[in-house]
Amino acid sequence: MTYYSGKDGVLTYNSTQVAKVSNWSISSTVDALDTTVLTDSDRNFVPGIRTITGSATVFYYDSAPVPLLQRVVKTTAVTESDILTIKLGWDTKYIQGNCIITSAELNCSVGEVMQASIQFQFTGTPTGVVL
Amino acid sequence: MSFTGPSFPNIAPSSRSLSAGDFPGTTFKAQDGVEVRVQYGNQRANTELSLSFDNITDANAALIYDHYTNCRGTLGIFDVPNNSLTQSGNPGFHAGTGSGTTNRFSATPFGMRYRYAEPPQFNSVKPGRMSVIIKLVGVLDK
Repeated sequence: MTYYSGKDGVLTYNSTQVAKVSNWSISSTVDALDTTVLTDSDRNFVPGIRTITGSATVFYYDSAPVPLLQRVVKTTAVTESDILTIKLGWDTKYIQGNCIITSAELNCSVGEVMQASIQFQFTGTPTGVVL
Repeated sequence: MSFTGPSFPNIAPSSRSLSAGDFPGTTFKAQDGVEVRVQYGNQRANTELSLSFDNITDANAALIYDHYTNCRGTLGIFDVPNNSLTQSGNPGFHAGTGSGTTNRFSATPFGMRYRYAEPPQFNSVKPGRMSVIIKLVGVLDK
C-alpha cells in the first residue's frame, strides 16, 4: 500500500521532463446525451464526447517553462506543429496524450518566485493511461 | 387519392407538439365590426404534429430516413398507427372519450392521413447517435 504525493509527480513534454513543476492537475469529463422519451419517468443518458483538460504551474527557474510557453507565446501563429505529447506521471503511473496548450500565463510579483501557469487540452484519445 | 406510403416506424419521440388544425371556412368582417363565418366542410384538416427524436441510434434514424424516402418525400400520405409515436406519454389525452376516438395524436380517426410537411432534419451528435426533427401535417385525402 502506497500513498502518493507531490514528490512522485513529473510532467514531461515530447519525452522531455519539465523542471521545477510546482503542481499539475487533469480533469476528464464526458457529455451525457439525453435519450429520455415520452414514456419515461426517469431520465436516461448515453455517454457522449469526452473532454480532457489539464493545467500545470512551473517555476521560472532558468528556462524551465520556456518550451511550453513557446508554443503559444511567440511572434508567429500557433499551428498543428505546436501540439505536444504531454505526460503527467506519478511514480510508475501516468496519463499521456497529444495536447494543445490553450493558455499560458506568466506571473511576476514582488516577494514571490516568478512562475508560469499553463492550461492544455487533449486532442484525440489519450495515448497512454496507467492508473 | 395520393400515393400511400408505409406506416411510420414505431419509435418513441423525445418531444411532441400537436396543433389541432381547423375546419375549412372563411371569416368575413364588416366595417362596423360584425363578423360572419362561413363553414365549407364538416371535417377538420391541417393537423400539425411536430416530433423530435433526440440522440436516437443510427438504426432508428435510418428508419425515419427510409420512411421519408418510401413516402416519396412530402407527397405520399401514411398512417401513424397506435404505437409509441402517438401512444406514449399522455395516455389521458390519446385515450379520451370526448372525440369518440382512441387517439387524438393520430390523424386517421379524424378522416385524415399524415404526410411530411417538410423534409426531416438529421443532426449528427456523435458516432452512433443522431437527432431527428420531423413535422407532419394531417390532410384530408378522398
